[in-house]
Amino acid sequence: MSAASSVKRWPGWVLLAFVVAGCLAYGVTRDAGARTPEERVEEISKQLACPICNGETVYESRNTASASIRAEIKNQVSTTDASDDAIIAYVVQQFGAKTQLLPRASGFESLVWVIPGVALVCAGVGLFFSFRKWRTNVDTVPDAADRARVEAAMAAEDSGES
Amino acid sequence: MLAEGLNGLLGHTALIVGFAASLFGALALIAAIRLGNARLIKTVMPYGWLALGGAVMAVVVMERGLITRDWQLAYVQRVGSRDTPALFNFTALWSALEGSILLWLLLLAVYTAIIMHRYRARLADPLVGWALVVMFFVTAFFFFLALGPTDAFRAGVTPDFTACCKGPNPLLQNHVLVLFHPPILYLGYVGFTVPFAFAIAALVTGRVGEGWLVETRRWALFAWGFLTVGIVLGGWWSYEVLGWGGVWGWDPVENASFLPWLTGTAYIHSVMVQERRGMLRVWNLSLLVATFSLTILGTFLTRSGVVNSVHAFSDSTIGPFLLGAFGVVVLVSLGLIAWRGDRLRSPGAIDSPISREGAFLANNVLLALFAFVILLGTVFPLIVEAKDNRKIAVGSPFFDTMSQPIGLVLLFLMAVAPALPWRKASGELLRDRLFWPAWCGAGTLALSVFLGATDLAPLLAFTFAGFAGGAAIRQLVLATRRQGYRGLLGRTNGGMVVHLGVIIIAVALAASNSYTRSAEFTMMKGETVSFAGHTFKVLDVLDFTTPRTVGIKAEISIDGGQAYAPAISKYTAFGMDVPTPSVKTSLVQDIYLTLENGSKPSTGEAKIKVFIKPMVVWLWIGGTLCAFGTLLAAFPGKNRRRPTDAVSAPIPLDEVASV
Repeated sequence: MSAASSVKRWPGWVLLAFVVAGCLAYGVTRDAGARTPEERVEEISKQLACPICNGETVYESRNTASASIRAEIKNQVSTTDASDDAIIAYVVQQFGAKTQLLPRASGFESLVWVIPGVALVCAGVGLFFSFRKWRTNVDTVPDAADRARVEAAMAAEDSGES
Repeated sequence: MLAEGLNGLLGHTALIVGFAASLFGALALIAAIRLGNARLIKTVMPYGWLALGGAVMAVVVMERGLITRDWQLAYVQRVGSRDTPALFNFTALWSALEGSILLWLLLLAVYTAIIMHRYRARLADPLVGWALVVMFFVTAFFFFLALGPTDAFRAGVTPDFTACCKGPNPLLQNHVLVLFHPPILYLGYVGFTVPFAFAIAALVTGRVGEGWLVETRRWALFAWGFLTVGIVLGGWWSYEVLGWGGVWGWDPVENASFLPWLTGTAYIHSVMVQERRGMLRVWNLSLLVATFSLTILGTFLTRSGVVNSVHAFSDSTIGPFLLGAFGVVVLVSLGLIAWRGDRLRSPGAIDSPISREGAFLANNVLLALFAFVILLGTVFPLIVEAKDNRKIAVGSPFFDTMSQPIGLVLLFLMAVAPALPWRKASGELLRDRLFWPAWCGAGTLALSVFLGATDLAPLLAFTFAGFAGGAAIRQLVLATRRQGYRGLLGRTNGGMVVHLGVIIIAVALAASNSYTRSAEFTMMKGETVSFAGHTFKVLDVLDFTTPRTVGIKAEISIDGGQAYAPAISKYTAFGMDVPTPSVKTSLVQDIYLTLENGSKPSTGEAKIKVFIKPMVVWLWIGGTLCAFGTLLAAFPGKNRRRPTDAVSAPIPLDEVASV
């Protein structure tokens, strides 16, 4: 066995697993540093819909309604200790439900979250049964009908019909 | 209402001729195929050229109307103005609904004519004949739209120049990308009509084997390539003109272009399973039908006023017609698939999920799920409004949450699939083939952590991207070692170059979305601030005037170097402010400056916003690589297989016996 292929045996993969786990653990847990107030305002305003425009977020929209919501968020960020979620809830309460950009996880709106999950499960179950069917139907040995079909096709190709 | 002028008359005539030619072309071809009449088939070609002539003429006449400022036309009153610069006056053709239907029509007529010319010697072949019938019918439908619900040549009322004739929307007259993004996107959108037409022809003729796939392979690739480039250019345009520093906002119109891209991407993967193994016939037909019908549904959603979008054109009567067309396409296609059910049953079986075809199947399920989720999110506000009569918005937080896990799994599959053999893979083979690609992933992760990356989602994205990149490069190295530069050609190898482009885009999106820094400063002329390791000095704050705008710009020196000048322009005719960001681009990061309202040249006060966005330029590099890879994939590879060639080593007899 060559040196190149022996390195690909389990010690190389175990080392790889350690490197990936170590780097992920370090990267995920370390502090990303403080956000500027503007960055907090941006993150919050990306979660809210502009109440008077067509499908834009408060962050993207340049109109006065969005500007005033941004000003209110900025005010909340700089003068209170409220969390991002609390500020979002406050804005939705102040400026109306139209500013809610993320569908709620309760009531009829929760369907938008549930249906994709159901679709994923259906797809998974469908694939499982397909593979099971394929596995039991493996038909690798040609029978007489298969041979006849191939011969007919070859004959057709030889006579230039295809 | 004004009397119909020369342009109106010529335009309507061109559309009527085109409509009649497409309809008669379709009917003549059906009759010829049914009767087997070779002479009748020869009469079809002139109908195709006439339809093309009608579409070209309609577009030329509309351009003439725009260029000569023919105020008799209602459309010119809406999108034309006396002082729009020549370039934007030309592109004003597609700046509103009626004109954009004309552009669609032109491209459709061009595709139809090319198909007709390309297969002129084989028009008697029912597969080609029926494909052309479908193309003719679709073209006739768009001629009908252009004549009726979206009549661009309608005469206007006497223009009141104080209220009308302001030119196109300011956002559509301030960047050169308006010349490229819509036509290129439409080339992709409309291009999927060709494989759809062949799919329907295959169903009608019952020749649902692999022949029609070979005919349409390059057409699907061509359409996919243009759609990809169109979407990337749209992101670039948004970045350059909207002033919020983003490239993608999950707006319904953006989603409408992304949906057919997803199903089209699924198709160009799964089609390989059918070519190799004769399987997934119904699935492939369904994907093409879905791709085409999603272009119609997307156009319905965004052009009929039912969904709110910044891109949406004003309300029109086009909605019911597009919805009707969508219904007809879906019903006819499903009916045909059901009718041909017996022939569509595939003869083979996928032996193992851990195989190339197994990976393609998984990728297809994910892409289809992705498309379904985005469609659901886009139409969900309509469903809630219909049920509860209240408006809700489903926006980027929903789409981001949903697309992140799907995107990560797709990246992982991009890493594993190229290493998988057809039929069945052994653990030993995977351990060997995936070893160096996996280390590329680990290396990318280590490098990104070293450079300061944080958070789970982007770190996983970088890891899988490195893994997938390693797999693509491995395949390309092996191929070029064997075949020299020809190892870059062909579907598999060109596809790997496209994969590299997509991987680069994924990394750039993950980095720029996760690690953007931003801050806002109110500064006086001569003042300097520091932010994120850079200094910004306001050199000047100036008023400026152009024939169409009044505005303010600030000249800002970054790190003591060249001055950048973000501006805000007010388009006086519209009273609308349009920001013009100024961007210092490098391979590592973009420094994106915008000038905010409240800046005062009189006092030298500038209110600026600074975004430090890592890796943005790699989005455009990745897009270019995708286009280049699509070209490479369109060239035939060295070893073209005949359909009867064996695809891999046979399964050993003892394994067969054990099954």
